[in-house]
Amino acid sequence: MFNILKMTYKIDMTYAINSFIYSIKHFPILKDLFPDDSLYKSKKLKAVVRLLGIVLSTIRAVVYKALYFWSIYMIASWIMPENTIAGILHIYFIFTVLGIIINNKLLSTSTKKYFSIVLFNMDAKEFMKASFWSDRITNFILHSICLWFLVKSPIIFLFTIFMFLGRFLGERLNVLYYMKYKISLTYNYTIYWTALFLALGACLLPLLNIHISNEIMALIDIVMIPISIICYYGLIKIENYKLIYKRLNTKVAALNSNQGKEYSRQAMVDIKDKDKKIDERKLKGKKGYDLFNTIFFERHKEILLRSAKWFATISLVIIIAIGILMIVVPALQKNLNNFLLNNIAWFVIVMYFINRGSIITQAMFYNCDHSMLTFNFYRNPKVILNVFKTRVLTVSKVNLIPAIVIAIGLPILLYISGGTSNILDYISIPIFIIALSIFFSIHYLVIYYLFQPYDRNMKMKSITYSIISAITYIIAYSLTDFKMSTTSFSIIAIIATIAYSIIALALVYKKAPETFRIK
Amino acid sequence: MKLIIKNLTKSYGEKTILKDIDFTFEEGKIYGLIGRNGAGKTTFFNCLNEDIEIDSGKFILSDEYGENKLKTEDIGYVISTPTVPEFLTGKEFLTFFLEINKDKLQEEKTVDEYFDIVKISKEDQDKLLKEYSHGMKNKMQMLINFIANPKVLLLDEPLTSLDIVVQEEMKQVLKNMKKDHILIFSTHILELALDLCDEIVILNNKKLELVEKSNLNMKKYKNKIIDCLKEEENV
Repeated sequence: MFNILKMTYKIDMTYAINSFIYSIKHFPILKDLFPDDSLYKSKKLKAVVRLLGIVLSTIRAVVYKALYFWSIYMIASWIMPENTIAGILHIYFIFTVLGIIINNKLLSTSTKKYFSIVLFNMDAKEFMKASFWSDRITNFILHSICLWFLVKSPIIFLFTIFMFLGRFLGERLNVLYYMKYKISLTYNYTIYWTALFLALGACLLPLLNIHISNEIMALIDIVMIPISIICYYGLIKIENYKLIYKRLNTKVAALNSNQGKEYSRQAMVDIKDKDKKIDERKLKGKKGYDLFNTIFFERHKEILLRSAKWFATISLVIIIAIGILMIVVPALQKNLNNFLLNNIAWFVIVMYFINRGSIITQAMFYNCDHSMLTFNFYRNPKVILNVFKTRVLTVSKVNLIPAIVIAIGLPILLYISGGTSNILDYISIPIFIIALSIFFSIHYLVIYYLFQPYDRNMKMKSITYSIISAITYIIAYSLTDFKMSTTSFSIIAIIATIAYSIIALALVYKKAPETFRIK
Repeated sequence: MKLIIKNLTKSYGEKTILKDIDFTFEEGKIYGLIGRNGAGKTTFFNCLNEDIEIDSGKFILSDEYGENKLKTEDIGYVISTPTVPEFLTGKEFLTFFLEINKDKLQEEKTVDEYFDIVKISKEDQDKLLKEYSHGMKNKMQMLINFIANPKVLLLDEPLTSLDIVVQEEMKQVLKNMKKDHILIFSTHILELALDLCDEIVILNNKKLELVEKSNLNMKKYKNKIIDCLKEEENV
């Protein structure tokens, strides 16, 4: 076990060092200093980089943990300001339980595991044991230290011991689940999201004066000891770890490799089996490019609609949850009311994130335009504009699914949280949300048509496209700090959206026949 | 040593790719696996290598000591698009591999001696695998499999990306290796299969079928193979 740990560490280190040297070698100016590959065998340089690597990775591990505990502290001081310590321990307990269910290490997939087990032919069971124990012990130490800083009492060990032992049960259950259903529990999204929402709910229990007590924690620890032993025994009894690791990690490794990068992007926009057959009725009476577009969208219905529906559902759940919270804890109503009436700009970034524009244009390119653009008839300006028009309508419709949920939900939340005397807000908020949704739908399509960013091999070529995407994000993000009354902001945003859309559409009509080409 | 396949069936949804295959591969031979596009050669390899679940069937390794289930460690699989740890140099990759597997290896050669087998120059040994050409990555992958010395070696179009000089070298390596191994080599290039392999097996109509050479000359044998492959269209 120690040998495996040592070897894994050695390989990881070498990998990290080489990546570092590689990036230096490819950095402008510096690359001229190191023209050949001799750097990779230079022992002195590697020793220095190794030391640097150890220091940096330790700092990173500590910072990550510190951030984790800082967020626990922040939530606790918000939920239980009068007894923050009990709040910290309660939330830590809930997060630990959540981790046991959804954050499994043993069957998580990584390229590293593929290399270790499949390529380097390491003993898979020993690898499992080594990574399991090293993870348990380092986490126990780091968690104990961080929690000590916050709580300053030996009581923390009741909780970190639970964190230590709980994973035995979690990993065992996950392996059992995998043996039965051939996927890791983490990829069962129903369980994943249910656990996440329940945990979020459980974090709020202190608001109702319910939190985990030290006595119950001690009792759980005592019960966990025999359970952990049984679970660990169950884990080491399994013989075919090599097969399990191979099956789980081969695809991941292929996707992460250089050749796999394009493939992985493509996999995101792969046509789903469900969509391979199209309902004939939907195509009836359609001709030409109208038929062409209908076929495209029907073939991608699963990719397009699934995530849109998914976002709509999540939005609905969040809105209902916030609504219930407002009714249960009336003290919070004022905050929400204030937020909705003064910080509506926040929803620019929300709408930015839930917009499916970028994935839709990728699907368009990979599965359609990429090959169609090689034909002259498809590059005809009339055709380009015709297809563009249909696309704008369809993409907007897809994005409207979650947008409508939010557009209806926000005024209701505003009303529940105490309402507003300005009746205009109830109208301007929904229009604002819908306008934003349409804005982003048009925006992605417009920049796709104006800067068609991919080359024949589906590599991203256009720097302008990347810069504009980045600027879009920066603007959306910086607006989160923008304070203005909802009425004024909504009206300005609606006007800006309409103006942008008109200008952008005019630009596409004028420029796209020249710009919409394979780079 | 024999690799016995019993009742192998594999379907994807309603489409059956391999149906009730019974076949025996023998030690000391290189089998050329030939099939039309989409016939299921890679699926067959993936089944043997346990990369995918099979619907039914058994893989048995039989030798003078008896019959055993084919285990993961009995198989080596050289795929046409190799995945390698790109931020290791060729030398580091091999050194780590040798260090990890030192207890399992039968003959111990130096790193340089191993590189000699696949003719990777000193200069290239210190390059990152990321900077290796497709063919060189393939050579590394083959080398690792030769060293690991599995009883059964599956090779999926391994020589196609290599230049003709290296192809010849690799063919020699495979020929040297076949003595104590079962080698199954899939390719679309009939000439390559005829040149390298001792037996030609075609994957036709979801079954494996050995094309007997009997006393046919090369031209007639070639025609026989093509005729067998064409049969699929007429079924």
